[in-house]
Amino acid sequence: MNKQELYQELSAAITKRKHVSLVTITRAARKEMIGKRMLLFSQEEIYPETGIDRTLVLKLAELCFPFFREQITRSAVLYGKDDPITVFHEVFAPPPHLIIAGAGHVAEPVAHMAKMLRFYTTVVDDRPEFARQGRFPSSDDVRCQSFHSYFQSVPLNEFTYVLLVTRGHQFDVLSLQQLLSRNEKPAYIGMIGSRRRIAGVFEQLRTDFPDESFSHLYTPVGLDIGAETPEEIAVSIFAEILAVKNRKSGAPLSSTIRELAKTGFHERRKRKR
Amino acid sequence: MKEIEFIQTLQNIFFTGEHAALATIVRTRGSTPRKAGSKMIIYPSGRIIGTVGGGCGEGEVIEKALKVINTGQPVTHEVDLTTGLLYEDGGICGGIMDVFIEPLL
Repeated sequence: MNKQELYQELSAAITKRKHVSLVTITRAARKEMIGKRMLLFSQEEIYPETGIDRTLVLKLAELCFPFFREQITRSAVLYGKDDPITVFHEVFAPPPHLIIAGAGHVAEPVAHMAKMLRFYTTVVDDRPEFARQGRFPSSDDVRCQSFHSYFQSVPLNEFTYVLLVTRGHQFDVLSLQQLLSRNEKPAYIGMIGSRRRIAGVFEQLRTDFPDESFSHLYTPVGLDIGAETPEEIAVSIFAEILAVKNRKSGAPLSSTIRELAKTGFHERRKRKR
Repeated sequence: MKEIEFIQTLQNIFFTGEHAALATIVRTRGSTPRKAGSKMIIYPSGRIIGTVGGGCGEGEVIEKALKVINTGQPVTHEVDLTTGLLYEDGGICGGIMDVFIEPLL
């Protein structure tokens, strides 16, 4: 495979939202090796550019595979009996997948924001007059399908975010039960609803799924910013989704500094947000 | 620019046989304006697509890239942003980054 073909493979993989990383030799004693590349799809599936011998390909794959698994972009050095070789391992993570179940009022601004924030977005609803591409011009995938059948087979992984905002609470709950009964787990399931209704739902879920921790279930959905309109609710929901995705608390950044301001800055804090 | 668009731009360069160089940040230490993986395409005219952080550091990379286009030999160039803290242009970063620069042929 030459460089051009390698880039073709890479862009095809990104378009298909496959996990792939690009490994580039950046330093080597043999000058002709510098700039040589390979694609890593898994530990077994490696596509090297012509000119790197098989042994080196396998050694580099072994060196880079832990970073591939952890999705880390970084440089690494291969030491051995020959001169050290530096490679750059670069992750091309597929965009996170947001599934919006229910194509109603809240779905519209959420779908808009999803586009801005570069999520791959699916909107699903069983009502043809709502599940129309025309209503969601910026969404990647608009489906008119029953929630039940959609959630039965949609791929779920740590990059999947599910938002349940259907027209009736019973559809949300049914979708949720379907999701919880799957072996694969999404990163986030947000379900809209009032506190009182949700208390009842939880009672039922605990009986149906006694072993479930519900740690990835967020209901009522969103951060507490007093959201009322669909747009405000969308901001509240997306703030929460981003906090989950980026593993942060969602608390105001000013909260820690405000404490310090009261007690006095005893030590200079590192310049870090 | 989205990753995919950047790669399509690279593919296009290969396709048309244009001469250009690709600069990629491959390692950073300390505070740098952009992280590893950030890329920039440099054309012989000095026109660029993408950024490796702007400012004086980027200027250095562009200069090196023009050499790489001529020699055809890829290099790793270290950009040291620790000296001259508080540049006149208001640069506030104080780190070091390794930038891999390769010809696109």
